[in-house]
Amino acid sequence: MTPALPAETREPSLAIDLSGIVKHYRMGEEDIPALRGVDLEVPVGTFLAVRGPSGSGKSTLLNICGLIDAADRGRYLLAGENVAGLDEEARTMIRRRAIGFVFQSYNLVPVMSVRDNIEYPLLLLGQSVDERRARVDEILGQVGLSGMADRRPDQLSGGQRQRVAIARALVKSPTLVIADEPTANLDTTTASQVIDLMRALGHRHNATFLIATHDDRMTAHCDAVHSITDGVLQ
Amino acid sequence: MNVQFAALRLAWRNILRNRRRSLVTILIATVGCLSILVASGFALYTYDMVRESSAGEFGHITVAGKDYFTRDEETPLQYGISDHRELTAALLKEASVKRILPRVSLSGLVSNGDKSVIFLGIGADVPGEAEVRGDILKLEAGSLTGKPGDPPAVLLGVDLAKSLNAKPGTGLTLLATTTSGGINAVDVMVAGIVSTGWREVDKRLVYTDVGTAQHLLVSDRVSTLSVYLDSTDATPAALERLAMADPAHAYQPWWVQAFFYHSVRGLYDRVFGLLGLIIGMLVFFSVVNTLAMAVVERTREIGTMRAMGAMPGEIVAQFLREGALIGAVGALLGTLLAAGIVLASPHTGLQMPPPPGRSVGYPLLVIATLPLYLITNTGIISLCAAAAWFASRKAAKKPIVEALAHV
Ligand SMILES: Nc1ncnc2c1ncn2[C@@H]1O[C@H](COP(=O)(O)OP(=O)(O)OP(=O)(O)O)[C@@H](O)[C@H]1O
Ligand SMILES: [Mg+2]
Repeated sequence: MTPALPAETREPSLAIDLSGIVKHYRMGEEDIPALRGVDLEVPVGTFLAVRGPSGSGKSTLLNICGLIDAADRGRYLLAGENVAGLDEEARTMIRRRAIGFVFQSYNLVPVMSVRDNIEYPLLLLGQSVDERRARVDEILGQVGLSGMADRRPDQLSGGQRQRVAIARALVKSPTLVIADEPTANLDTTTASQVIDLMRALGHRHNATFLIATHDDRMTAHCDAVHSITDGVLQ
Repeated sequence: MNVQFAALRLAWRNILRNRRRSLVTILIATVGCLSILVASGFALYTYDMVRESSAGEFGHITVAGKDYFTRDEETPLQYGISDHRELTAALLKEASVKRILPRVSLSGLVSNGDKSVIFLGIGADVPGEAEVRGDILKLEAGSLTGKPGDPPAVLLGVDLAKSLNAKPGTGLTLLATTTSGGINAVDVMVAGIVSTGWREVDKRLVYTDVGTAQHLLVSDRVSTLSVYLDSTDATPAALERLAMADPAHAYQPWWVQAFFYHSVRGLYDRVFGLLGLIIGMLVFFSVVNTLAMAVVERTREIGTMRAMGAMPGEIVAQFLREGALIGAVGALLGTLLAAGIVLASPHTGLQMPPPPGRSVGYPLLVIATLPLYLITNTGIISLCAAAAWFASRKAAKKPIVEALAHV
């Protein structure tokens, strides 16, 4: 597929463009097919849920989209850029710049304050002190944690921790945010609040969200829902 | 906030995560640093002391006739210095020269009338010798010089005095072969009894003045001039200048004769080198152990940071800072304790046992030098940083999905 316009001027309309993604795991003699030819097109700014039973391949798909794992076969364009064959260093640089992560168990660094946790991706980008401070203050306000910048993660509730993680994922204005079961550790009320917050902020930052869940109640809050069974996306 | 400072603060917080484990590691670094500093401080003191006593014994530079150091004399004073007064005056013009002591070597028999014993003698400026040799020439009885009107005075080594049954005031006869091959004798009187700490020397030692020695040998020569400088460190430069200016004589620095200095240094370098190696390994593996545990505990955190775009090198750098910080705190504490020991060591009154062949020990002192402290501190810190690299390099490259799944 040749782009219709030169790369510099073309504003890609698809954040994710996958075709023919295949991934197998090998466990000794056993060969486990996790993804059997996945095609997926996600327009920029979509808040997309992938749902499916346990073992269907949701995490595998998200890991590949988040460039923390590589497919065995298939094509992957991230915001129009071919990222399928890149080496680990190049993938790291893309993750640093363009991909945020929200994890099921928050994965905040316990010895860092809320502010330091959110600031970390900006430190990796080499931003100046002033720039970092302004960005962190802004996003703290957006997730409603302005007064908690100096707390440690263990001084927060689960919902608050996940909001810190959302702030950390969005602070660098990434193209893509990967959220693998972000609400699985939260009660239903908090979970819908967190999902709503993610969606609102995703739209505000024009970030594409890819969320894995097997909780059908959450999918009601999403722009689009795809189902996956046995490594095949419907 | 400054990025470097923030990184160090983070490293410190990570160290405090498991206080007990980190404290033990820091203490191991402290004890390692302390023992290296104290052991090396003691070795350096010993080197200094043996160096000064060697230089005191021989003089920083020994001047002699051309062939004195390379050939054996067939007759007494064959390669001696005949114009020693002029030469002394010339040498004293060199700025770093503090004092010059003439020496006449002689040997022969010393007799109390009933018994004759072989002696090895030195005709010298006796009070001057006592001054430069300090502890090495200790007056055990009597005085250094005789009374006016008495026969020429001699000092005897303690064991020689015992064998001749001599005390201060005893009259003796020295017999020696003269420069022309005849036999000559001089009646002398014991002024004092001395000990050098070397039993072999004290069995044969006779000190007398230059005039008496020359009179006995029937010569106006001296064997050597011992040149004493302001400081031992000035020796190489002074040696070069003096030898260059006076090709007629032979010049030899103290270290050529200082066998004891060389053997002490050789032994201590090996002993303390091995000790340092063992301590280094101990510190290294203890830091590796501590940080390896921390790395395992923080596997998911490493995966998270890698997912957010941290390079493996940046993960390792974080652990390097933690290792270096453990090393720095340990080295600082070790340095403070070592400094305390350095300051306290002159007041302990502890003595080392006498080295082989000697009969007196020496005080146990520990000194400090800037290079020693700089090298040791840098060494400990680098060792701990290297241990951190060793402990974290694999985990930093672990597949991210695997690291994130770690519980
Ligand atoms: N590291 C691995 N080694 C071997 N097999 C694996 C590995 N990771 C996943 N699989 C297998 O790949 C398939 C897809 O797994 P994946 O984790 O993507 O499922 P999932 O939809 O995320 O499940 P869950 O809802 O339980 O998280 C499963 O059969 C799983 O057993
Ligand atoms: Mg999963």
